[in-house]
Amino acid sequence: MSDTPILSVRNIRKTYGGIEVLKGVSFDLERGQSKIVIGPSGTGKSTLLRCINLLSPPDDGSVILDGVTVEQKGINQLRAQIGFVFQEFNLFTHLCVLDNVRLAQRNVLGRSRHEATRRAMEELERVGLADKLDAYPAELSGGQKQRASIARALAMDPKLILFDEPTSALDPELTGEVVQVMKELANAGMTMLVVSHEMGFAKAAADEVIFMEGGVIVEQGPPSTLFTQPEHARTSQFLQMLTHEHHET
Amino acid sequence: MVFDTLVAEFPFLLRGLWIGLQLLAALLTLGFVLGLTLSVMSVYGHWTLRLFTLLFERVFRGIPEIVLLLLFFYGIGELIPMSPFIAAVIALGLRSTAYQAQIFRGAMQSVDDGEVMAARALGLSRLATIRHIVLPQALRRSIGPWTNEYSSELKATSLAYVIGVVELTRQASYIVSNLQGNTLTVFAVVAAMYFVVNRLGNAGLYALERKMAIPGFEGRGRET
Repeated sequence: MSDTPILSVRNIRKTYGGIEVLKGVSFDLERGQSKIVIGPSGTGKSTLLRCINLLSPPDDGSVILDGVTVEQKGINQLRAQIGFVFQEFNLFTHLCVLDNVRLAQRNVLGRSRHEATRRAMEELERVGLADKLDAYPAELSGGQKQRASIARALAMDPKLILFDEPTSALDPELTGEVVQVMKELANAGMTMLVVSHEMGFAKAAADEVIFMEGGVIVEQGPPSTLFTQPEHARTSQFLQMLTHEHHET
Repeated sequence: MVFDTLVAEFPFLLRGLWIGLQLLAALLTLGFVLGLTLSVMSVYGHWTLRLFTLLFERVFRGIPEIVLLLLFFYGIGELIPMSPFIAAVIALGLRSTAYQAQIFRGAMQSVDDGEVMAARALGLSRLATIRHIVLPQALRRSIGPWTNEYSSELKATSLAYVIGVVELTRQASYIVSNLQGNTLTVFAVVAAMYFVVNRLGNAGLYALERKMAIPGFEGRGRET
């Protein structure tokens, strides 16, 4: 079992309002691997993540999670195994941090209150929020919110975590703390698929970079290769543009 | 002179008020339970359920309360006999259902879609998401608009007078006919009683709204 990929995405297609956003995307994610997906906006990166846990069901293709096809039947238990971190955090406004991290453990995994609390505390400690258990989302900074939402995903003991532009809604000075947590996760062996242009994370923690454009994967490879000697002209153009942007901001 | 009589008659007014409050509590409860059900159906239900809720709301918001009272007591009451009180609870309660459904629907739709998506992504079912994420937030946001519904239904209980519910307004009219006059004084007292109950109820609801407010948001439980 351990040599089969934990996630296998096969030929995913998705059309929105007559426009084909994903035109047959396939890739594998090995256990403990972290891959980062980069590419111009509107190229279907976020849609791809939502197709994986059927938040936005693909029109065609298949997703296999640890040997099991992800389908509507039993979807809630499958989703519980796939962590999802949103750009906008999406913490539950009416619940304190601790309850945000406990709710799905209790409701979906059926854990006892005691067990859910224990796991929540572990993960909140890991992301550095042990002193914010009783705080409500509106009382947290953006970086704290995102770290709480990462803890919420981790406490479910997922097989992998999908990150949808986790730092894009943050002020530049707050991205560091979130990237730091993500690096630590990757180094600790968490399987991660990250849509982000956070080059710091890509270079330090990603095993592979996937460059997507126009609904297809243009090329993929380890960051050392892809960033220095990309095969396709489009990839190098995009990378140049990214570096340029980063220098400006 | 007048005041002696008023003091003597005041227990009757209180009894009338008590009946009115029972009517109010019953019709608001009916409206709350059915209104919440309708609002969930209209936001998350199959299109047939949505059509049903739409028609229900159109009908019960489009007919005057007095006509509804007469319709239920004299009309439907002819087929299924019921007391004036029960007829009033049903007629006003169904009308309140239509208004409360609108309050809850608006509040449910104002809950952030992202939170709903996050709940589903964690594996919560549709129903669990409504119960644990949508309703706790929507109900908090409903308290403000619901104060209007409380005020409006409190005043509507006086209309049950026309089908013979012996509530506050009807007690007052009995007293006026017994006293042969003094209309102004008696109805002024009655008006004051409605006013006080209205203020007390709203003060209670605002206190509830503050108590339930989510920390981190300014103002009276209002989220922006």
